[in-house]
Amino acid sequence: MDFYFGLLQIFGVHTLLGLSAYVVLLTGQVSMAQAGFYAIGAYTAGAGTAMFGIHILPAIIVAGLVTAVIACIVGFPALRVKGLMLVVATLAFGEMVRLFFFNLTWQVDRGGELVGPNGAEGFRSIRYFPEHGWEVWHVTAFIWAVVIVVMVALWWVDRTRAGAVLRAVGHDETAAQSIGLNLTAVKVGAMTAGGFIAGLGGGIYAHTVTHIEHGVFGVLLATFAIAYPILGGLGSVFGTVIAVLFIQGFLIEGLRFLGDWRSLLFGALIVLAMNLRPTGLLGEHAPRWFRRRKTGSEPLELKEAN
Amino acid sequence: MKLKSLITAGMISASALALSSAAFAADKTVRIVGFGASSGVVGIFGQNSGAAMSAAFEKINAEGGITLADGSKAMIETEYYDDRCNAEEGISVLRRIASTDALVAIGPTCSNVAEPLFGILQAKVDDAGDTGLQFPVFTDVAIKGGLAGISEWVFRNTPSEAKMYDDLFAWIRETYPDAKTIYGGVEEDFAHSRFTWYSVMKTAAEAHGFELVGEAQWLLNDTNFSNQARGMRRAEPDVVAISAHPFTSCGMLREMARQKIQPKVLVGLTSSSSLETLSGCANEAQGIIIPTSFAPVNDEAKAAAEAVAAKGGALDLHSAAAWENAMILRDVINAAGIEGTPDTLEADRRKIRDGLAALTTAHGLLGENKRMPDGEAVKPYVFVHAQGNAWEVVHNPGS
Amino acid sequence: MDYFFIIDFVQSLADGLLFGTTYALIGIGFTLIFGVMRKLNLAYGAAALAGTYVGLGLFLTFNAPPFVVFLASAIGAGLIGLVVYYCCFRFTPEAHPMASLLASVGMLLFLEEMMTHVSHGMPHPYPSVLSGATLELGDIWIRGDLLFVFGICVVAMALLFWLLYRTPLGLATRAVSQQPRAAQLCGIDSARVNALTFVIAGVLGGTAGAMTAAAVGILSPIIATGLTVKGLIVVVIGGLGSIPGAIIGGLLVGAAENIFLLLRGVTERDIYVMLLLFLFLTLRPGGLFGSAATRD
Repeated sequence: MDFYFGLLQIFGVHTLLGLSAYVVLLTGQVSMAQAGFYAIGAYTAGAGTAMFGIHILPAIIVAGLVTAVIACIVGFPALRVKGLMLVVATLAFGEMVRLFFFNLTWQVDRGGELVGPNGAEGFRSIRYFPEHGWEVWHVTAFIWAVVIVVMVALWWVDRTRAGAVLRAVGHDETAAQSIGLNLTAVKVGAMTAGGFIAGLGGGIYAHTVTHIEHGVFGVLLATFAIAYPILGGLGSVFGTVIAVLFIQGFLIEGLRFLGDWRSLLFGALIVLAMNLRPTGLLGEHAPRWFRRRKTGSEPLELKEAN
Repeated sequence: MKLKSLITAGMISASALALSSAAFAADKTVRIVGFGASSGVVGIFGQNSGAAMSAAFEKINAEGGITLADGSKAMIETEYYDDRCNAEEGISVLRRIASTDALVAIGPTCSNVAEPLFGILQAKVDDAGDTGLQFPVFTDVAIKGGLAGISEWVFRNTPSEAKMYDDLFAWIRETYPDAKTIYGGVEEDFAHSRFTWYSVMKTAAEAHGFELVGEAQWLLNDTNFSNQARGMRRAEPDVVAISAHPFTSCGMLREMARQKIQPKVLVGLTSSSSLETLSGCANEAQGIIIPTSFAPVNDEAKAAAEAVAAKGGALDLHSAAAWENAMILRDVINAAGIEGTPDTLEADRRKIRDGLAALTTAHGLLGENKRMPDGEAVKPYVFVHAQGNAWEVVHNPGS
Repeated sequence: MDYFFIIDFVQSLADGLLFGTTYALIGIGFTLIFGVMRKLNLAYGAAALAGTYVGLGLFLTFNAPPFVVFLASAIGAGLIGLVVYYCCFRFTPEAHPMASLLASVGMLLFLEEMMTHVSHGMPHPYPSVLSGATLELGDIWIRGDLLFVFGICVVAMALLFWLLYRTPLGLATRAVSQQPRAAQLCGIDSARVNALTFVIAGVLGGTAGAMTAAAVGILSPIIATGLTVKGLIVVVIGGLGSIPGAIIGGLLVGAAENIFLLLRGVTERDIYVMLLLFLFLTLRPGGLFGSAATRD
């Protein structure tokens, strides 16, 4: 049973990573900085529990906030550019963060042992969960509680004016600007929210794997972060969840019996999926069975009518 | 329509999950599984390791298998799981293994998987406050020093680099009395290479009176080494030690040849004593001396190498550990008297752990391996150097 | 300032500039595809390397001479480029740039795994020419093989310019890149031009891959990510769609990398390269030669 709970932990953590990119993607921006934000969250939360002995919940919230502040600061200059330029600018930022942790050595003495990030050798013994008697399913429940809070918040935001604003900017910047939207504020806001979510996700990640090192937070992870929402579809938060299930559950765990072929199929199936469903697995619109419950006029329905 | 297809896809993956982890119900078999990277850039480690393991279990089964507590015989079943050298996947694989009727696992191959993986295991046995996983892991390949101390459920059969390099530099001091200075080269962003240079080679060299005249650093996928080699050329070192994996080792060796740097002695990283280095740059690597815990120097080792080659793998210092682990586990299981039934699974795992912890020596291909209290091993080793297209033994401290 | 430092500085600069030509070629490939299709092909670096493996295959099985190997690498990469076009770009709708972006990521992962599968992840020797020769100018040594790499890259660029500015195909390519719809109205088959652009870019990438491998002397799948990232950086510094920009960008990145290596050591080298890039992007978003007002 623990295996399935462990798998659910991975799904949860990756969902947070994907959702952090989802918010930014709604405004039409492709950010490759999410792996960097994830790293900041991971190291901050890891330092919180392992080096200073605080509880996991404040640790990940602090991690989220720290990451959000950094994302906001980075957002201002980075979001002056768009398209490919933004991809490369955020990629550069993400790599800078990774290399920063590659060079960071900061250890404190706890119980006779040095604890903390140790440059290229990483940050060891972030064992908050096992040391405090958390069973695997406790951890899974905790992670999914966080994921569901984030998902509900995003779902709610999507239904309010803020969601319409984000999507308007993503759809056509010039048109959005001409109806008086402040592009910079919207984009930096999305980046900050994305940073917060990535920080939470990274913070939890550090605790599920107990050891983190710079190599994990490279270009590949950044690519996965944007791959989840794109593959799942930008219609709603459920797209990201479906894509995480597809990649982590089906392509990685489900195809394990194929042995060597699994890794080869991995890329090929992503290519195939994008050819068959260019707008993502769930498409560009929120799933219908959720929309029907709400009556009256909705921004999404209106957009479709146009 | 799309919803339907999604649900179908979900069901297929769910059933695939269930199928592949379904336990085998056959009588009189015990399962020992291996895991590690068998695809991706470091996939070769897992492929060799898996081949060595299955060859070893085949040999054990052909000799009658293992003995259970009631005196009956059981065959060993094995399987190899791919973790793609990814920490999360490694953890997931180990949890999956623990959810089956496997008694013990051999792996992983990557140090960056081993470290987080050992972190999720229970740190101290019988510590009720620690909810970490309780499953014995007997590591064959992941070599970065000092990892077994993380958990008491972890045992490693990887060579002790500290001991090997200490001896190597002592031997160099003796064999090349006029060699005075040493220059180090290190692949800075790879945990194992970095650890081996700063904590093992450098310390050992200085302890044996070599004067460190400089260090060159580069990264895992660097392609240009001219700056680093220039520094080395000016220092005119007698000994050059390169702590890097084959790709950059070869790049650096080529650049050294180009800049006509000819040290008296060239020392390499244990992991580079494999076929990869020779397939990449046999000419430049000529003469490089590497301590290794495996070379086909006796009949047993030669027979093992042949059996593994028949399985499509190569026996080198990494995969030889997988072979030895299989043999050690057979002896431990025979001595521990396990029941081998589904009801006693946890007790059996515990017996194997205790059996491994109680070992002080174990039989290895090159001779007796010493087992350390922290779960590490000190293995016999030989010094090999590259000659033509093969590694030849240049010195055998054991003989 | 002591003598050694000046020598080191000049030497780093020279090495960096010579090596930078391979970055320039990769950058040109990215820029060509982007210029014509307005889409990012992340599989490009991997496709270039896969082509290089085609050449390596010839070398290992038939012991082919270096020039045949280089040519096979370039042509192989061109063909793989065509496959990438058909798998990731041809059938994904124009209106969804994200679809082709992610498809190219899938392709990147597939090609990388394919290469490791075939090569078992082992490094293999790659032929080079003039590797033993060095041009000694006082204390500055110029590597013969790097000069050769430089020469080949310059020839490849010259051929590209000829192709773009002196042939009907080049005219069509430039027309599509400037105004796809207008070009189509004039009877240019834009799908064909797109496909050909992928082939041309692929050939350039294959040349760059072959030259990188020749300069290092060994080939391993792990350099794919490096090629992709370097290529993207070069494009951005040079300005999107600008070929001269990509050339200057490539040389700049090559030189800057080596200088920072000399000044700050290897662990910090890439931080400074990335910082430079980040500043560049935010302060001069159009790149060296691009106009700041290009639509994305």
